[in-house]
Amino acid sequence: MLRSFRAIAAASAALLLATACNSASNSAGGSDNPGKGGSVRGVTDDSIKVGGIVSMTTASGYSKKDTDLGAKARYDRANAEGGINGRKIDYIGAEDDGQDPGKNLTAARKLVQQEKVFAVSPMSSVTFSGADLLSKEKVPTFGWGTIPQFCNSEYIYGFNGCLVPMPGGTITQSWPEGLAHVLGGAEGKSVAVLANDNDAGKFAIRTYQQGFAAGGFKVAYAKASVPATSTPSDWSAYTKEILRSNGGKAPDVVVSVMQTPYNIGLFTALKRAGYKGVLTDPTDYDPGLLAKDTTAQALDGVHVLLSFEPFESDSPQMAQFKEDIKKAAGKDVPLNMHMMTGYMSADYFLSIAEKAGKDLTVDSFQKAAAAYSDTGTMVGDRSGPKGHKEAFGCGALVQLKDGKYVVSSPFKCYEPIPFK
Amino acid sequence: MADLLGFVLSGLVSGALYALLATGLVLSYSASGLFNFAHGATAYLCALGFHELHSGFGWPAIPTAILMVFVIAPALGWALDRLMFRKLARVGETAQIVATIGLLVALPALGLWVVELLEDAGASVVPAENQFGLPGVGPSPAESWQLMDGVGIDSDQLITWVATAIVAVALWILMRHTPLGLKLRASVDNRSLVELRGISADRLSSLAWMLSSGLAGLAGVLATPLLALSAHDYTLFLFISATAAVLGRFMSVPLAFAGGLGLGVLQNLVAGYASFADGITGFRTAVPFLILFAGLLIMTRRQRTAGTAAVDAPPIDYLAGKSWIRKWGPWATGAVLLALAFYTVTTPFWSGTLTQGLAISLVFISFTVVTGLGAMVSLAQATFVTGAAMVAGLLMSHGWPFIGAAVVGTCVAALLGALVALPALRLGGRSLALATLALAFLADQVLFQMGWLRNGDTGWEIPRPVFGPVDLTDDRAMGVAMVVLVVAAVAAVSALRNSPSGRAMLAVRSAPAAAMASGVSVVRTKLMLFTLSAGLAGFGGVMYASYQTRITATDFTAMTGLIWLAVVVAAGVRRPQFAVVAGLVFAIMPPLISDYVTESAHLPVILFGLAGLALANDPDGYAAAASVRRHRRKAAVQHTPTTAVTREAGPPPEGAALELRGVRAGYDGAPVLTGVDLTVRSGEILALLGPNGAGKSTTCKVAAGLLTAQGGTVYVSGHDATRHGAVRRARAGVVLAPEGRGIFPSLTIEENLALHLPSREAREEVYARFPSLSERRKVTAGSLSGGEQQMLALAPLLQDPPKVLIADEPSLGLAPRVVDEVFRLLTELRDAGTALLLVEEKAAEILGVADTVAYLSQGKVTWCGPRTEVQADRLTEAYLGIAGTDGSTAGGGGDAGAGADADAGAVEEPRTRTDTGTGEKPRTRTDTGTGEKPRTGTDTDTDSGTDSDSDSDSDSDGTSTRTSTDPSESSSTEVARP
Repeated sequence: MLRSFRAIAAASAALLLATACNSASNSAGGSDNPGKGGSVRGVTDDSIKVGGIVSMTTASGYSKKDTDLGAKARYDRANAEGGINGRKIDYIGAEDDGQDPGKNLTAARKLVQQEKVFAVSPMSSVTFSGADLLSKEKVPTFGWGTIPQFCNSEYIYGFNGCLVPMPGGTITQSWPEGLAHVLGGAEGKSVAVLANDNDAGKFAIRTYQQGFAAGGFKVAYAKASVPATSTPSDWSAYTKEILRSNGGKAPDVVVSVMQTPYNIGLFTALKRAGYKGVLTDPTDYDPGLLAKDTTAQALDGVHVLLSFEPFESDSPQMAQFKEDIKKAAGKDVPLNMHMMTGYMSADYFLSIAEKAGKDLTVDSFQKAAAAYSDTGTMVGDRSGPKGHKEAFGCGALVQLKDGKYVVSSPFKCYEPIPFK
Repeated sequence: MADLLGFVLSGLVSGALYALLATGLVLSYSASGLFNFAHGATAYLCALGFHELHSGFGWPAIPTAILMVFVIAPALGWALDRLMFRKLARVGETAQIVATIGLLVALPALGLWVVELLEDAGASVVPAENQFGLPGVGPSPAESWQLMDGVGIDSDQLITWVATAIVAVALWILMRHTPLGLKLRASVDNRSLVELRGISADRLSSLAWMLSSGLAGLAGVLATPLLALSAHDYTLFLFISATAAVLGRFMSVPLAFAGGLGLGVLQNLVAGYASFADGITGFRTAVPFLILFAGLLIMTRRQRTAGTAAVDAPPIDYLAGKSWIRKWGPWATGAVLLALAFYTVTTPFWSGTLTQGLAISLVFISFTVVTGLGAMVSLAQATFVTGAAMVAGLLMSHGWPFIGAAVVGTCVAALLGALVALPALRLGGRSLALATLALAFLADQVLFQMGWLRNGDTGWEIPRPVFGPVDLTDDRAMGVAMVVLVVAAVAAVSALRNSPSGRAMLAVRSAPAAAMASGVSVVRTKLMLFTLSAGLAGFGGVMYASYQTRITATDFTAMTGLIWLAVVVAAGVRRPQFAVVAGLVFAIMPPLISDYVTESAHLPVILFGLAGLALANDPDGYAAAASVRRHRRKAAVQHTPTTAVTREAGPPPEGAALELRGVRAGYDGAPVLTGVDLTVRSGEILALLGPNGAGKSTTCKVAAGLLTAQGGTVYVSGHDATRHGAVRRARAGVVLAPEGRGIFPSLTIEENLALHLPSREAREEVYARFPSLSERRKVTAGSLSGGEQQMLALAPLLQDPPKVLIADEPSLGLAPRVVDEVFRLLTELRDAGTALLLVEEKAAEILGVADTVAYLSQGKVTWCGPRTEVQADRLTEAYLGIAGTDGSTAGGGGDAGAGADADAGAVEEPRTRTDTGTGEKPRTRTDTGTGEKPRTGTDTDTDSGTDSDSDSDSDSDGTSTRTSTDPSESSSTEVARP
């Protein structure tokens, strides 16, 4: 055994030495670094290769797969209009990361190393372990900025900015301001905020407590106390506390920063306990929810926050969006926010790529992004540099009323407050 | 007060679901001794089916629910039982745990895949994703009623309560008041005895699984409005209900049921009143797992020491004794080729993928340590990985160098491992697995929620190290470095395995009690294993994190750890190199499948899960099975010609109730019987005498059908019954009274009798004959004295005499007066026309009753004749084991366990006494070699005490070798080194 040990040790030493020589020569030579030399990764004379990463299948039954459809719809239109500076978009579809960090990284590697894409758009998941690789390989990436990696990363862009407030950054005020609009002013109104019992929930409580206070509300209750792993079957423990939180009375607004199954349970319980105030959450804008009696009833009257133009709006770009989606799907499909995520991620990428001009390289793309700004899109006013630090800060509230969504506070951009 | 009432009432809703799931768990555990981790997945599958049929195809709710609960779910249970559970019941506990973990991921993926395929085929299915507020059986949306201020219920809750109550009553009636329930309970008690009584335990197992699946189906359908279609939630629900099953000690349905209800209420009360813990992030989330952990610690009895699996025999190491090149050559070549490949053939993507596979291999090797060497199933490995990587990342963010951070991270993981191990070590098998799972969830929900450690969702950056010219930021250099590290880890674990401490570990694994007796501290050894394994997992975690250059708290969750275990064990957990195979397969398979087979993400998951199915056939994993199968085939080829020769033609003689002709039998690789000829006639007592290890018990088992003969023929009443199993033999009138007591200790006397004598009159006659039993008919049989138990075993036979009774040492451990009584009963049976085959140690007594005497020596009958012709010296020879051979065998016994026994070469060598001597009765000394006697594994709990005296004459050196090595793993390398 000892002899074999020595043999192994000797062999590995030799191997390592070989690696050393090789990696030394390799790093000096430089690999296929995009942006340098004649050929740019994923860009040919008449095409730009783009891929996506989306959580499609998950153990929790939550899927963002329509993000892919949204992106495809937008790219299809770009191609139908003649492409970007004469180049067609070769969208190879989205890899499924299954909300698994390992798969997320593998998907990123596959897109960069195997497919050699120029950019990744959309990237929509709850995990983003491929972020470092994408940054290192200088792959412009566009997606839903709910993950910290979308903030302060040179090559990674949130389609409506970076949505995770960073110390020294700002908090977007679209929710408090929107609610103030619904209530006819925040003065003297109290809110109760409820979140999941985990780190993310704590963080949400911290930001919204600040945001609602700055918006002029009295924060009567703010707790991250709902078990995070599975939906409680019984909500009475929480409803009782909330309904007594405003000095023994019920607060004017109950804000839930939780996912749909939790909201259904909480709102149903609150209504059964006789609560008559305003209910609001940021996740339940899904016309699919209207299709079921239970959800339609549970969420009836709830004001839902969205950070893009509501589907109910009749602006020309919304009409265009609906038409594009219908064309890409081949039939009428119910719209949802994931389609918007994919669509606007693609849109943001295309807008910057167009600005970058005919000579498209990562460098020229980054330069164009740094100087990019526009106004009046479906996510409000976009700006390249701002998006790395904060959200674009626009939003609307829609209310579910009698089986359909009605805009209760129109889409508008608000001034953010500093995050402490 | 209203608050409290409200909490209790609504707590009963989730409580009812817990109760249903826990009851199913207990039922299936009882039937086949395996804890079904996939029980929640079954519930999910039924919920999915209900949703698709009801909402998709528009079938009415109640008939659909009935179809799911009474037809589809039981059918699923039946199919799974046939395909895997039945076989799994006979393999080691690790394989059992892992196979069901595989199902846990495979079943939901399978369901979703079917939906996907149906959708492609144009069926009117509805998507299974993003579905909330699904309709259940009742009205949708649910009706609700306010009972009083603040206390309300809705129709879904009401339906859950009513359905659960009906199930509770129905189950109680079934288990307590039907013959089926009695049989089920008997098979829980002693599965092989049930078979000997002519009841098919397999059929009972199927029934229990169907019942259990039906309950899961009911829970699934009832939970649809609450949990929607999240496979994850169903599985979590199941883990929580496991607490209730623990409360019922995996045995008692009523206790588990009550435990489930209580758990729901407790959980609700904590949620209502836990405001004291608001400062601890994740406390409320963690409550169910706190309860689970506490429940395990309190409720688990100290029956086995520190997590030793019950039936977990290693496969024969066919390479034992072969040269280093034969053993390691292929692996070493593979490693060198892999290292070379990085710089020659692989594309950047595949270099990265291989590197990833190697990095995860390091983590996987930690399973080899804790599960392979220690036989402990740890589901907390992901916690150690996350812990180590987080600490390393935290330190590196403070400017620590990579090596320093990695060392501290590894140490923290090792420390964490020791902390987890301390409370968990007194648990065994599935309890240990569940406890580590609970701790893993606790770590996820409390420890890794701490802001300073977690750093939000950003986590910590772990840049890849650069040592002088070696720059690991290049995937290929990283890959080669990983090859070196993995080779070092494999070599280290292999060296550890062959070191004195490694032998101590194997000793503890196979026989804790014996290990303790020879001065090995079981607790210390287990603690060391756990710590070592956690440290290794931690180190692997740091390397993996540096491969992906970042670690966040959610990268490796408790569920990840579960899947890892399944992947490793599917490949093989006994050797570190198998873990490397597992790691590489884990990384390579998904991209390969998506490139070449299907884009569907479900298929790789299904395949990984189904690897668990293969465990039912090859419990040691596919990597180990490859070599074992090859060698088995070789051995089989060598065997075939002899089989033909020993089979003798010709009809059996008239009047023979049982005849064995040229019977050869043995256990894996160890032949015991080498040609036994015996004839027992009706109304005759044949006493089979012989020294220890001659094959007496094996003869009994072959005669009763518990063990299949490898050659020769067994005739029952003149018909060839060689291929008939125990159940068919029992039905043909062949009854075996096994060594120890042939009773069901947890059943009452009345129930024990009822199993054999269904008619009440017959039982009354037995009571009339044995008044001492009559007085205590409601007493459990386990509380009777040894003599009374033997009476209870024989009493029903007297009432209804069998054709053949095979009694394996009926006087074992009984007082002389009782022995006389037993022999008197046996004589009575003979007079009633039964043919008796008696195996006895107490030759003097048995000679008093026997008509014919046969001497068995080294697997052959050396003399057989009427009692009158028995000569004292012949008897002595039979007992000293020298009859029929020269004295050289005594020397042969001296080096028992010297290593030849496990060798394939020994299969051909019938005379090797070491084989039969050590192979036949390892259980009697140390409770270990259950694998070699797979059928007897079930009674390991009860008989260790009684057996020791019967074997007091066994060679003492056999005992000492056993305590220091794992007998069945006795490759020459282990034993030959002092």
